[in-house]
Amino acid sequence: MIYFDKVSKVYSPTSIALDDVSFTVAPNEFVSIVGQSGAGKSTLIKLLLAEEKPTSGNVFFESHDVHTLDQKELPLIRRRIGIVFQDYRLLSHKTAFENVAFAMEASGKSDEEIQRDVPHVLELVGLMDKAWHFPHELSGGEKQRVAIARAIIVRPDVLVADEPTGNLDPKNTWEIINLLEKVNVLGTTVILATHDKGVIDSLKKRVITLDKGKLIRDDQKGKYVL
Amino acid sequence: MIKKENMSYNKITFQRILKSGITKFFRGGLISVATVLVMSLSMLVFGGVLVGGIFVNGIISGVEDKVDISVYFKLDSPEEKILSFKEDLESNINVKSVSYVSKEKALESFLGRHKGDTLILRSIETVENNPFSANLDINAKSTDKFEDITRFIEASAYSSLIDIDSMGKQKITFRQNEEAINKLSNVLSVSRKIGFSVSGILALIALMVAYNTVRVAIYNSKDEIAVMQLVGASRSFIRGPFLIEGLIHGFISAVFTLLALYGILFWTGERIASAFGGLNIYTYFVSNILQISFILLVAGALLGVLSAQFATKRYLKV
Repeated sequence: MIYFDKVSKVYSPTSIALDDVSFTVAPNEFVSIVGQSGAGKSTLIKLLLAEEKPTSGNVFFESHDVHTLDQKELPLIRRRIGIVFQDYRLLSHKTAFENVAFAMEASGKSDEEIQRDVPHVLELVGLMDKAWHFPHELSGGEKQRVAIARAIIVRPDVLVADEPTGNLDPKNTWEIINLLEKVNVLGTTVILATHDKGVIDSLKKRVITLDKGKLIRDDQKGKYVL
Repeated sequence: MIKKENMSYNKITFQRILKSGITKFFRGGLISVATVLVMSLSMLVFGGVLVGGIFVNGIISGVEDKVDISVYFKLDSPEEKILSFKEDLESNINVKSVSYVSKEKALESFLGRHKGDTLILRSIETVENNPFSANLDINAKSTDKFEDITRFIEASAYSSLIDIDSMGKQKITFRQNEEAINKLSNVLSVSRKIGFSVSGILALIALMVAYNTVRVAIYNSKDEIAVMQLVGASRSFIRGPFLIEGLIHGFISAVFTLLALYGILFWTGERIASAFGGLNIYTYFVSNILQISFILLVAGALLGVLSAQFATKRYLKV
């Protein structure tokens, strides 16, 4: 489903973010990408979302090289990839409901579908009672749940989470991880980038380990080893 | 191949963009207020330049209209030949208008001007025949055309009809006041150029200030624009609400500007007219309110929308 083919990203000769990285992700997999800060986890996700271009190599989503898509095709691929960030990145002038609905509106879904699905997903992440709160009225954990709701509302094929628990306390961390597992069980491929050893060790899923931009381990039921 | 989206501009998308733009404006709070205020000030400068330019041009045109060339004819010149000469002059591209003053009319207006002066009136009575000659008053399209018109008159077949003064020269007032008219012509031409340049510079500064205000407002949303793109929104779907918001900013700014201009001109119109003479700018503003409103509203809307268009382009790169 996702294929990184000999991908390198060089910002400058002394700043090599990714160095000849190749791996594939199959449908319905739950893959964790681990590594210390600066290992290249976020760069890898930016390349998948075509937020940045690789210096060499190709990134494929199904049969599409995401970096050769034009500005009309790219949004269509991005709608199939849900994204969750460490800093939530909610739209500050929109309520929780509107943030989630935005992804559906952008996909051209009808008003009826939006009115039917958004409350359902907010219920799933446990935030129906805060549907009309603005982001600044929500806690960190609540914001992250809104971000997950926004990412899964359009039933993406892949959910990418970049350090989603980095700003959360242990209780909220486990709630978010449980949500990601639930999403995966429902049939969505999950790519989780994190450096949280406790989370990785408890998941017992596939772990790709990056170190200084190189892929150094790829274990099917891996642990955080660095 | 990926199926290209065809929903970009369909009805439901447009409604969402419109709603989102309006909501964004009202939820913008202080940023919306600040943007409208700065844009209003810029538009006020723009409106001031617009109305001021018309005012200055009015004064200059007024002065130009007061300058004309008079050609005086010999007493025995036949009227029909003078009128043919008038037609010739009217067909000249440099001539704005020509008016014929007959001998009788010249006498009548002289008597009218000196109604109370018995000495002059008695002197006229002692002369048996009408001592005044017929003349043509010629207005040029601009003061620098007088030289060409005078040459045209001097070269004309009718030039033999023109009266001769005591110095032996034809009675054409331009030749008599040539230096003063040329000086005035230069002053008016320079005044127009300075007025045009100052207006242009002020209008440009106003546009730059307005654009930068919108740009700063959109700069605050640059992270959100990036997120919208990553969520899969198309460029038009992201940009649309900013354009609607820009339209609202521009429209409200234009209304504020109109109200401010009305107030300022109401208080200053009469005073400026008495100080500089001629056009009362308040009267001009009120009698042309529809055209000025239209220009300001269109300028405001264009300014808001185009500023938002350029500003969002900068951040729609992810």
